[in-house]
Amino acid sequence: MQNPFPHIIYKNTFWVSSERCVWWEEENTLIVSDLHLGKTGHFRKSGIGVPQGIYKADLQRLMAQLYFFKADRLIIVGDLTHSTENRELDHFKKWRKDFSLLHIDLVKGNHDILTDTWYDDTGIDVSAHHLVVKDFCFRHDLKIKHKETLPDGIVYTFVGHVHPGVTVKGKGRQTLRFPCFYFTAEHCILPAFSRFTGTYSVERQKNETVYAIAGNQLMHIL
Amino acid sequence: MKVEETKGFRVINEWLAANERHPFLFQLQAWQHIVNRESGLVNAPTGCGKTYSVFLGAIIQFINQHPGYYHSKKDSGLQLLWITPLRALAKDIGRAMEEVIAGLGMSWKVGIRNGDTPLAERAKQKRQMPEVLIITPESLHLLLAQKGYAEVFRSLEIIAVDEWHELLGSKRGVQVELAISRIVNSQGKLTNGKPALWGISATIGNLEEAKDVLLSPVRQTGIIIKANIQKKIEVESVIPDEIEKYPWAGHLGIRLAHKLIPIILQSKTTLIFINTRGMSETWYQTLLNVCPDLAGSIALHHGSIDMELRAWIEDNLHTGNLKAVVCTASLDLGVDFRPVETVVQVGSPKGVARFLQRAGRSGHSPDATSKIYFLPTHSLELIEAAALKSAMSENLIESRPPMMLCYDVLLQFLSTLAISDGFSQEETYAEVVSTFCYQHLTKDEWQQILYFVTEGGHAMHQYDDFKKIELEDGLYKIKSRKVAMRHRMHIGTIVSSSMMKVKFITGGYIGVIEEFFISRLDPGDVFTLAGRNLEFLMIKDMTALVKKSGSKKSIIPSWDGGRMPLSANLGKKLRETLDRSATGALKPGENELRSLQPLFELQQLLSHVPKQHELLIEQIETKDGFHLFVYPFEGRLVHEAMAAILAFRISLIRPITFSFAMNDYGFELLSDQPIPVDDTNVYDLFSPADLLNDIQRSVNSTEMAKRKFRDVAVIGGLIFQGMPGEKKKARHLQSSASLLFNVFAEYDKDNLLLRQAYQEVFDQQMEEVRLRDMLERIQHSKIVLTFPERLTPFCFPIKVDSMREDLSSEKLEDRVKKMQQQLEF
Repeated sequence: MQNPFPHIIYKNTFWVSSERCVWWEEENTLIVSDLHLGKTGHFRKSGIGVPQGIYKADLQRLMAQLYFFKADRLIIVGDLTHSTENRELDHFKKWRKDFSLLHIDLVKGNHDILTDTWYDDTGIDVSAHHLVVKDFCFRHDLKIKHKETLPDGIVYTFVGHVHPGVTVKGKGRQTLRFPCFYFTAEHCILPAFSRFTGTYSVERQKNETVYAIAGNQLMHIL
Repeated sequence: MKVEETKGFRVINEWLAANERHPFLFQLQAWQHIVNRESGLVNAPTGCGKTYSVFLGAIIQFINQHPGYYHSKKDSGLQLLWITPLRALAKDIGRAMEEVIAGLGMSWKVGIRNGDTPLAERAKQKRQMPEVLIITPESLHLLLAQKGYAEVFRSLEIIAVDEWHELLGSKRGVQVELAISRIVNSQGKLTNGKPALWGISATIGNLEEAKDVLLSPVRQTGIIIKANIQKKIEVESVIPDEIEKYPWAGHLGIRLAHKLIPIILQSKTTLIFINTRGMSETWYQTLLNVCPDLAGSIALHHGSIDMELRAWIEDNLHTGNLKAVVCTASLDLGVDFRPVETVVQVGSPKGVARFLQRAGRSGHSPDATSKIYFLPTHSLELIEAAALKSAMSENLIESRPPMMLCYDVLLQFLSTLAISDGFSQEETYAEVVSTFCYQHLTKDEWQQILYFVTEGGHAMHQYDDFKKIELEDGLYKIKSRKVAMRHRMHIGTIVSSSMMKVKFITGGYIGVIEEFFISRLDPGDVFTLAGRNLEFLMIKDMTALVKKSGSKKSIIPSWDGGRMPLSANLGKKLRETLDRSATGALKPGENELRSLQPLFELQQLLSHVPKQHELLIEQIETKDGFHLFVYPFEGRLVHEAMAAILAFRISLIRPITFSFAMNDYGFELLSDQPIPVDDTNVYDLFSPADLLNDIQRSVNSTEMAKRKFRDVAVIGGLIFQGMPGEKKKARHLQSSASLLFNVFAEYDKDNLLLRQAYQEVFDQQMEEVRLRDMLERIQHSKIVLTFPERLTPFCFPIKVDSMREDLSSEKLEDRVKKMQQQLEF
């Protein structure tokens, strides 16, 4: 893994990792989005033989990131799971027990459709719409406006949902698309943590910062 | 027993005589072999009684079996299964058969089964099968997906596969092979050659192989019956008044549009074949501009146009109400339109078979002459016209190589069997390897396939929910109703890109268009579809809503239909034709070549006109850099691969980077430094040695395989696509082919479907065999290296094509004109 890049927002340092997550130094918190756990299992239940290796690898990467940053809190900005309960999620529950000291927060996304009991059993604190820590807000989908008003004084918001990707043009009409982190003045769209996800193209505007993830390298897109 | 002495023959012969007809020799032959209970292939062109050769054979046999009461015998069960690739043909064939049955006073029924057959009709068929069932390969597989299907085929006497040449060489053909292997074995062991198997095919280069592929599951050699009816075809080229010495693709055709008007006006109905949907839109507009009187009596027909509108056009072609129809391959096949007197081919038809097929769409009475005009889109294409003529006179028609080891179709087929009566491992393996396609399927691969459908490949067993095919009492079955239902909806091997309906906002359906094209449009953009300029308004419910636009400028959609490469046969003929032009040994009637003489003279002056056993390489320096042009005449796919390989091999001599361009005649390497190719190393650069390694190191086969993987994954059941415009139901099961490709490549790289995608790239995308043949040929040829001072007529179209990518069409036109002036001064 390449060393993470520091990205400063309102005097807080957020370390951008090529493993598709951000570590918030001041709060010792790892922020991820769109894990879509159980997606391969869901496909397999329907007779589509997607290799389960990708699910295993996703969990291992998450574990490695938690160890690397020694984070004691994990915030997931939605889509922790992909669909209904299955055996892969049973496996995740077991995995969770090995990190009993880790505090996990989930801001519900459109895929998070499991029962309250499941989240309780798994030791996950759930916020239905948003979570606020200091002046920072965590939500799933930037476009959805909730009736519930957000508290005043929020300076910055982290979201997920869109699985942002950026297209890089090379020589000879070659184009490559990479998942990316997308920082604007007010919000950051995180890449989907799971590798079993597609991407949606975003276009960088002036004064915005985009880090593309090419394999295990981060590229600052200019 | 001689067929002439049978009762069945006498009945048929009397009926024919009463209608003032006589059996053709090939029909008699077919009947004899059918009565002998043999299998085989009938080779006959459309419209000369090929249907009767097998259908009447089946009737004769039935009468012979029931001589006393053949009239009255009802509900005899399925006798003749008629497999046809085209839904549209089913109705007409059925009607023709019913006429015969009525004429003979028999009680047979004819049923049709395809995607359009109503549910009630299917249910009726299930209760009592008609004696003749006309079916598409897809519907046949759906029939195999029904419980108790074997009962349907118990009484079956003959399986006929119509238009076998169309199915062969595609995955639909593989579907037919698999279905036949199941049907003939479904009654237990093969008994006394029942059912007999008959293919009907137009002439192709590998007729013998076509027969072997078809008959492989019944383990018979069979016989080929040839109709030997030679249709007279007259080819005339539309020759431009002035030959451009610097030709370029795409614009000349339109400039010759006025020459088509008299052709259209003098014949009853004309079909104008255009190679791409985009160009057909342009042509339709242009013809209307040149001759506004045609409005109302000219129509546009291509795959993106609304089905109903297409049906309307086809009806009006039958009745002769249309003067001309601009069309694409969408009208290549299907029923004959009697009023069609003339056919026009615009641009290269890319192959002899396709040209003949299109020519054959005109002049239908048995002794009428088919008339086809060839209109070049650039002047070099006139050589192709001459090459086509000479190929036709020698009957040099392309082969359709059958597809081999299609794991995706097999996976689909196994699921089909698993949702009806289940399959047993030993029996099904034996059946599958009895087909031509899977004859080399190893036990090991078979086990891998079974493992994939039962276990879903490698998994973490304790935490896995995989469920598809389960083993129960020795039979493999699918028990989940959901999985079975989804599978039924996806039986088939034709994978279309995702399409979106286009509708007027006020209502009224126009057609369908690729989703990716619409996704690039902004509201207010104007595009052309079905000959109309439409302003894009919005997308709603997976439908693109538009309104009419008066704007003169519009975007013509580029549909991502594959661009056909020049066939190997036509390439060979082109080289021979050039030889004649170079040596001046022109045949009489080769006006095309005569008109091209000024171009050849210039080519010879600046460089060289290659003879048959020569390979021309031109090295030219311009302000753009150093160009290397090579002319193998092997079609753009082979050229694309060869360009990459050559670039790689040259870069081993000295580090150097290139950009490529190619057309069907040759390719270009362009670099900013001199290219180190000379007579000391040129044979080595074109050596077939180490080809496979060099391909892997030079061509980006991963990207190509990713594209192929889409179809493979859809057929193999990994991706579910909805109907056009319909929202996908299983939202949580969506994934893109490229994502799946990456996942498999990383976590299950030995997956058979992945391997198949790579194999398809080698076989179809790079035409590896043809590439190798070409290199062998070049080793035995004389390589002629020239160093022209400026661009030559041969390289000019390639050069223009390479500029096309960076320039809009107007700018391109200007720049090409300037280049032509500079070169021709």
